[in-house]
Amino acid sequence: MNSIEKNIDNLKDYKYGFITDIENIRAPKGLNEDTIKFISNIKKEPKWMLDFRIKAFERLKLLKEPNWQKPKFPKIDYQDLYYYSAPKSMDDKPKSLDELDPKLLETYKKLGIPLQEQARLNGIAIDAVFDSVSVATTFKEELIKQGIIFCSMSEAIQKHSELVRKYLGSVIPITDHFYATLNSAVFTDGSFVYIPEGIRCPMELSTYFRINASETGQFERTLIIADKGSYVSYLEGCTAPMRDKNQLHAANVELIALDDAEIKYSTVQNWYPGDKNGKGGIYNFVTKRGLCKGKNSKISWTQVETGSAITWKYPSCILKGDNSVGEFYSIAITNNYQMADTGTKMIHLGKNTRSKIISKGISAGNSDMMYRGLVDISARADNSRNFTQCDSLLMGNKCGAHTIPYIKNKNSKSKIEHEATTSKISDEQLYYCKQRGLNSEEAISLIVNGFCKEVLQQLPMEFAVEAQKLVGISLEGSVG
Amino acid sequence: MESQIKLDFENFLNKEKFSSSQIQLKKNNFNEFIKKGFPNKRIEDWKFSDLNQIIQTNIKKLNFINSDIKKEDFEITTVKDFEHNKIIFLNGVILKVDFTFEENDKIIIQQNHNINEDNVENSLVSLNSAFVSNYVKFTVKKGYETKKPLIFYNYLTSDITSSALNIRIDIDLEDGSSLNVVDLSNQNLNNNFINLRQNFHIGENAILKKYFLDTGNSPNIKYIYNNLDLSKNSHLEYFILSSGSKFLKNDIICSLNNEYGSISLNGVINLDGEKHHEIKTVINHKDENCKSYQLIKCVLTDKSKGVYQGKIYVDNKAQKTDGYQLSRALLLNDQTEFNAKPELEIYADDVKCSHGSTSGNIDEDSIFYLMSRGLSYEQSKQLLVNGFLHEVLEKITDEKIKIFIKKLTGLENEY
Amino acid sequence: MLSIKNLRAKIDNKEILKGLNLNINPGEVHAIMGPNGSGKSTLSNILTGKKGYEIEGEVTFEKEDLLKLEPEERAHKGIFLAFQYPLEIPGVNTNIFLKTSINAIKKARGEKELDAIEFLKLIKKKSADLKFDEKILSRQLNVGFSGGEKKKNEILQMSILNPKLAILDETDSGLDIDALRVVSEGVNTLRNQNNAFLIITHYQRLLDYVIPDYVHVLKNGQIIKSGGPELAKNLEKLGYKDFN
Repeated sequence: MNSIEKNIDNLKDYKYGFITDIENIRAPKGLNEDTIKFISNIKKEPKWMLDFRIKAFERLKLLKEPNWQKPKFPKIDYQDLYYYSAPKSMDDKPKSLDELDPKLLETYKKLGIPLQEQARLNGIAIDAVFDSVSVATTFKEELIKQGIIFCSMSEAIQKHSELVRKYLGSVIPITDHFYATLNSAVFTDGSFVYIPEGIRCPMELSTYFRINASETGQFERTLIIADKGSYVSYLEGCTAPMRDKNQLHAANVELIALDDAEIKYSTVQNWYPGDKNGKGGIYNFVTKRGLCKGKNSKISWTQVETGSAITWKYPSCILKGDNSVGEFYSIAITNNYQMADTGTKMIHLGKNTRSKIISKGISAGNSDMMYRGLVDISARADNSRNFTQCDSLLMGNKCGAHTIPYIKNKNSKSKIEHEATTSKISDEQLYYCKQRGLNSEEAISLIVNGFCKEVLQQLPMEFAVEAQKLVGISLEGSVG
Repeated sequence: MESQIKLDFENFLNKEKFSSSQIQLKKNNFNEFIKKGFPNKRIEDWKFSDLNQIIQTNIKKLNFINSDIKKEDFEITTVKDFEHNKIIFLNGVILKVDFTFEENDKIIIQQNHNINEDNVENSLVSLNSAFVSNYVKFTVKKGYETKKPLIFYNYLTSDITSSALNIRIDIDLEDGSSLNVVDLSNQNLNNNFINLRQNFHIGENAILKKYFLDTGNSPNIKYIYNNLDLSKNSHLEYFILSSGSKFLKNDIICSLNNEYGSISLNGVINLDGEKHHEIKTVINHKDENCKSYQLIKCVLTDKSKGVYQGKIYVDNKAQKTDGYQLSRALLLNDQTEFNAKPELEIYADDVKCSHGSTSGNIDEDSIFYLMSRGLSYEQSKQLLVNGFLHEVLEKITDEKIKIFIKKLTGLENEY
Repeated sequence: MLSIKNLRAKIDNKEILKGLNLNINPGEVHAIMGPNGSGKSTLSNILTGKKGYEIEGEVTFEKEDLLKLEPEERAHKGIFLAFQYPLEIPGVNTNIFLKTSINAIKKARGEKELDAIEFLKLIKKKSADLKFDEKILSRQLNVGFSGGEKKKNEILQMSILNPKLAILDETDSGLDIDALRVVSEGVNTLRNQNNAFLIITHYQRLLDYVIPDYVHVLKNGQIIKSGGPELAKNLEKLGYKDFN
């Protein structure tokens, strides 16, 4: 909490908004088969991968963009985007960090993610994705000793094609929906994780996504497989420069947990949110889905969503294995003209499956926040349970908070409980804090962090502090 | 269906003597319905109840006009439990309007009222506007508190079958007036589609208590569209007993247009067989200091399906809103299903709004406790179900009607 | 230290304070007694800067116009209010709140902020001085606290923040005899030549433990009588009704 105090003053602006001046290689603008072939070719992908992409592209031609979401936005011209952009220096495939373009090293250092060995964060392995490519992955060698594979998706397609081929698209099929299918056709890079049977991954795995180039969509793809009895905690962070034009980020993330395995997936999303008048910012349209395939498996999503002009995502769990567990912990904050339509889906298929949803939404300024969720207990999922708690906090009367849970119970042996509340920070609470010497912003940051505590507690220690700071900063200027 | 309905509509217009402007309005509404048809599950409001499919499965060939009805043979049975005023509809046509208990000039009744243009985006409302003929509007005059409740009897004769009936009533409660209304229908063994629309305007300081009762067993498919507008400091009590029809959807839209209005909306869905019932509510808080309270309980056995969709909307002007909503369902059999969509949409910060929803079976520990006191399993279960529903019935504030409803539901001796 | 001249205050067009005068010097303990609705809590709210009042008159604290300052600025200057009804703040750990508070004040005064270890030492010492169970500090701020625990927590905060002027608003109400003793000892320990206390109370019983230098009777928005500790005893005997 102390760190909030110290940092609140010097963080008035989006501090990740700088642009790295670097020479890029780009695919020609436009969405067509040539672009897809360009991507596949530059990554030297095997034929099955190209076929996968082309199949998705054929499917995409039949699909329309969905329009049921609450945040509306101008039509995206998919022909006016770059689908591949990578630093030219990455073309020579640097073999070690010493060969990496110093500008890239500097970028990550500035973002607080040092990649060099001597400066690395303890106990966290990082895959750094810059526009369309992974530029470096740390601790790779240490991890492989235990059989843990942590590398970029491009590398995995080359070196671990058996695994990729088996699982890619198994949770999010290429026919899923417009943005997921688009991703399947044009995805560029992302992270791949495989934890072998019985292994508890000894460090946090983390991917840091950075959008740098303009007029470029980022289509990353992440695949995490936790084999029987294994455990992994994975975290992603995201930032982008300040630009006047909206940029599209449409990622697919697939998680597979086999028998007795556990995956903990955390997100601290701080894409550029646009300026105070709602100009610019990232469209963050992400498909995240976890499959609890094996019995006793567990997938837990934790997200802190403070950035992006529009956030539109529902990290979900398919609880297929008997006794499997799904969790969703979320903090979503919108300020100024940001909009969010986020929540989760818990699909109970196996017996004795459990799910828990804790969602904290905070809206300020002229923003709009939507929680949308689905809990579906099928007729076969005997003795299953769900508990959902959705709380919204409004600051001012120009913003909105909207809660829509869809609750379906087809099993008389199962139980669903849902609660939702809406509240505000009371003047009395503020006055009490001020009487103890806190200024308005400190008081709000403190109270809001208290409101979010249940979710913040779920984050790995190293990131909890960062997330707390973000919560305070995102609400800057929301009270007079 | 389409050619049948067009033919029926032509005949209907020829039979009734409408003015040319009314004909045009009806045609517009008719075309609107033809364009959209019966709602299906792709429409968000009908996500959990596919009416188009329900009608197709249950009513093979639907008529939209009923030429010959043998009214004379029908014996009207009325409620004997308490004195009341009556409006009796037989096969969708007004048979009797009787305000015996009220002062003459305090209730103003207009029949054959013209429809107005209204922009409700709902194909069933369009259908209603197209086919409604004997539309009733009545006004309770300023400051007049009605002495006895009013019962709407919605009766069908046994020879009416596979018909769509479109009925409409508009009620205006002027400032300071009050009215208690009960909706009743008879046991009917034929497949019909009943499309009822009711509009209420509740004036300043006025009080409306409305009890919608659907009991017994009937193969009817019913849709009730209810629009209620509340003025300053007015109060609405709304109770629904949803149990008798094959399919029933109560679609209720309440608007708290002015400060200090309040709503207490309570419902019981109690189903067996393959019945499928839905309660859908929208409460619009449009001004400051209004309150809304909703409690819906659902008990499902056999292969029945219950749905509750409830939305609380709070405008940015509606500070100090107090909105509460709770839905609870008991699923007593393997093949039952309960779906809920409780929704909050809030644009003001100084509000207290919450909703809750639970679904599951009866707590086995409670059953065990009762059994340890000597009750059988079935007795214990029944006792717990009755207790579960009792809370909703206790929300009814008209004592005579409460006793009547308890009798209808078999809960009168329990407590 | 504190000087109040002809203070008038209105809320919703209702006049609560009707020309109140009071001077408090360092080292003094003042008690203000009065019946319900006499304006006691209004006075503490105005001194600490709560919004919503229409105010006339003059209030200076260490020769500075107090009325111009924001609530947190007054806290920075050393004014502390022990709330009659301390607020519950869910999810916020009491320790973290205290640390944020003390460092906000230190920062405003240009003093060095406490690090985690210094803070813990301070907390340990103060809790021990007041015979407080430290466990209470790891709970959410005032959430689920009993009435007595909330009041004790206020006194602990007071001792940690070490204010120049402490205002105790009905701190004795709802306390059992043991809690009352703890609270009074807290005040007596803190009391010295450089600080002052303003004790607002309905009853005399707190004043059995904390002996005031001055007692003032507040009625209908004005101080109608001032005197020594014996005045409180008189008042208790007579009641406010007959007291004129």
